[in-house]
Amino acid sequence: MKQIFVIAEIFANQIRPVTWELVAAARVIEKNLPSQQSSPAIHVIVPADHPLPLAETIAQRTGMDVIGLQIPELKTEPFAKTIEEPQKGTKKHKEKGRKARWDCMWERGAPAPHGDSGSLARGSAYSGEIYISCIEQLAEELNPSHILIAHTPQGQDFAPGLAVGINAASVPAVNGIRTDEEGLIYSRPVFDNSRNLLVRPTQHRPVVLTVMPGIFKAAVGEEQKSGRLEIRDLPHQPAGYGDQRIRHRRTLKRSCENQALKEAKVIVAAGRGIKEKENLKEIFEFAQSFSSAAVGASRPLIDMKWIEYQHQVGITGATVSPRLYIACGISGSSQHLAGMKKAEFVVAINKNPEAPIFLHADLCIIEDVFEFIDVFLTKRGKSNGFYDFK
Amino acid sequence: MKILVCIKQVGDDGETNRFDVHALEEALDLKDQLQTQLSKSVVLDVVTVGPPGACKIIRRAFGMGADRGFHCVTEKPDFVSSFVTATRLAAVAQKEPYDLILTGIMSADMMAGQTGPMLAKILGLPCATSVIKTSVPSSDMTIEVERELDNGLRDCLTITMPAVLTIQAGINTPRYPKLSSMLAAGQKKIETFKELDLFPEPIQAREISIGTEYPKKTRSGRVLEGSLSDKAAEFLAFLKEKDLL
Repeated sequence: MKQIFVIAEIFANQIRPVTWELVAAARVIEKNLPSQQSSPAIHVIVPADHPLPLAETIAQRTGMDVIGLQIPELKTEPFAKTIEEPQKGTKKHKEKGRKARWDCMWERGAPAPHGDSGSLARGSAYSGEIYISCIEQLAEELNPSHILIAHTPQGQDFAPGLAVGINAASVPAVNGIRTDEEGLIYSRPVFDNSRNLLVRPTQHRPVVLTVMPGIFKAAVGEEQKSGRLEIRDLPHQPAGYGDQRIRHRRTLKRSCENQALKEAKVIVAAGRGIKEKENLKEIFEFAQSFSSAAVGASRPLIDMKWIEYQHQVGITGATVSPRLYIACGISGSSQHLAGMKKAEFVVAINKNPEAPIFLHADLCIIEDVFEFIDVFLTKRGKSNGFYDFK
Repeated sequence: MKILVCIKQVGDDGETNRFDVHALEEALDLKDQLQTQLSKSVVLDVVTVGPPGACKIIRRAFGMGADRGFHCVTEKPDFVSSFVTATRLAAVAQKEPYDLILTGIMSADMMAGQTGPMLAKILGLPCATSVIKTSVPSSDMTIEVERELDNGLRDCLTITMPAVLTIQAGINTPRYPKLSSMLAAGQKKIETFKELDLFPEPIQAREISIGTEYPKKTRSGRVLEGSLSDKAAEFLAFLKEKDLL
């Protein structure tokens, strides 16, 4: 019988919710397989140094069969301290008096802190090298037809190497699964999310898929019947090159988040379409015309150092849920959309009618951002006697 | 020490993929520091897989400071499986003993993020993706990097070289190519490889593209019509109606 593998996403000894979405995607694949094939068995794979409690939870909640891979090398010790991030070009950063602060969450080889370690879970470290070699071994034995992995920084790190390792086809960032007379078709975003590419794996190979978070609806509760549980001792067997070549030292977490973004009723956000750093001034003026607004930004602006990280909205920044989100010159990458999709209303202002942000907006204003803001502010001033931002 | 940076030409203007520019800048920065702080000699090569016109981005890399350039010349196809690209890059990368291979976290057009980790696996090397910081290697054995996770988290790793790193945007501010270097680069020879010489048997793609489509709408997407002033008035009315001012 063919198998579908779902690789659970485990971080800091916790099951990440995207795991439930992967199970939902696996069910879609199961349903869409040609009927002449015997129904495959879905197996959820849980790699961890101590997978039993995690595997039990997954078996109970999904009713799926679960294989826990017990990998001692994935162990870390709890240790907490705050450290300063030494920046490149430190001089400049010192002048500005801005230094990113990081809380060190888990560190290998460090003594456990005295007393209660607080809310810190025991970290289960991820290692691409270990994941690949262990899942390869299991795939060789059970010969799965599909392996589903989350399209997250963790999943994206090991899925491509795993696909090469087991001679599989590989489809990243899957945001849709369907079927035609020839079999399963996967869609995935390309060209800054303005199109979906439809991909078909060539036949007679397993397929490794990384599935976009937030697409497949997690339908899990306490299932009537818990799935079967199996724990396998699977020591990492480095294939002929001695020690582990990737050693996890510690995990850092940024200690400051932008509370202003999380609390704002209105967020005015800027993207690459604003063209110049100097133009941010006008975005701030636009924001000031609302009674309670904060300024957000898409990732490229932070990468170009036009504005501080505290303003970043998206997967690697803040996840926000204001009443109104105004996207100014933002194209609408999935990285950004994931951070703002919980807004009650989304208004997009962009010169490019093809910008994918318009697919995810309630109101679409196809205009030059600054020409529009100018006209808007003039009208706003007239309509409201006491409003004057200067 | 030898460093290889894999770069790709993207878009209608045929520019270098912006993530690969960050990878090249990081490699140049490592080279500068290894040479000035540790007096090590470093050779920095770039390689691209692409149609004949892709040599343009190698010239630009020369302008930024790359020493040598390799070009695996291909036809311009609609869709290339990442595995095929990684296999071609591996063929070039295997010609020299590189200590470090850097590339962008993904290409801006295909957005797959697979070429780097696949290349690593084909070459049998360890790989870290989404690298947001590197430290200058104090020995030829290991390099310390930080990789970006989600939720504001970073993993700090020590990796045994040779290794492959895929570079995330935001790691550095890339330099502009120097005009003098660009002019000198015009004289430099790009070593080209023909597909058939590298691969007498064509590489089998493991996935095929069967077309593209527009993504689905997730919201109503009402387009405001009329003049600029009409649109501003309608937007203002919307804000008042929803009590958002």
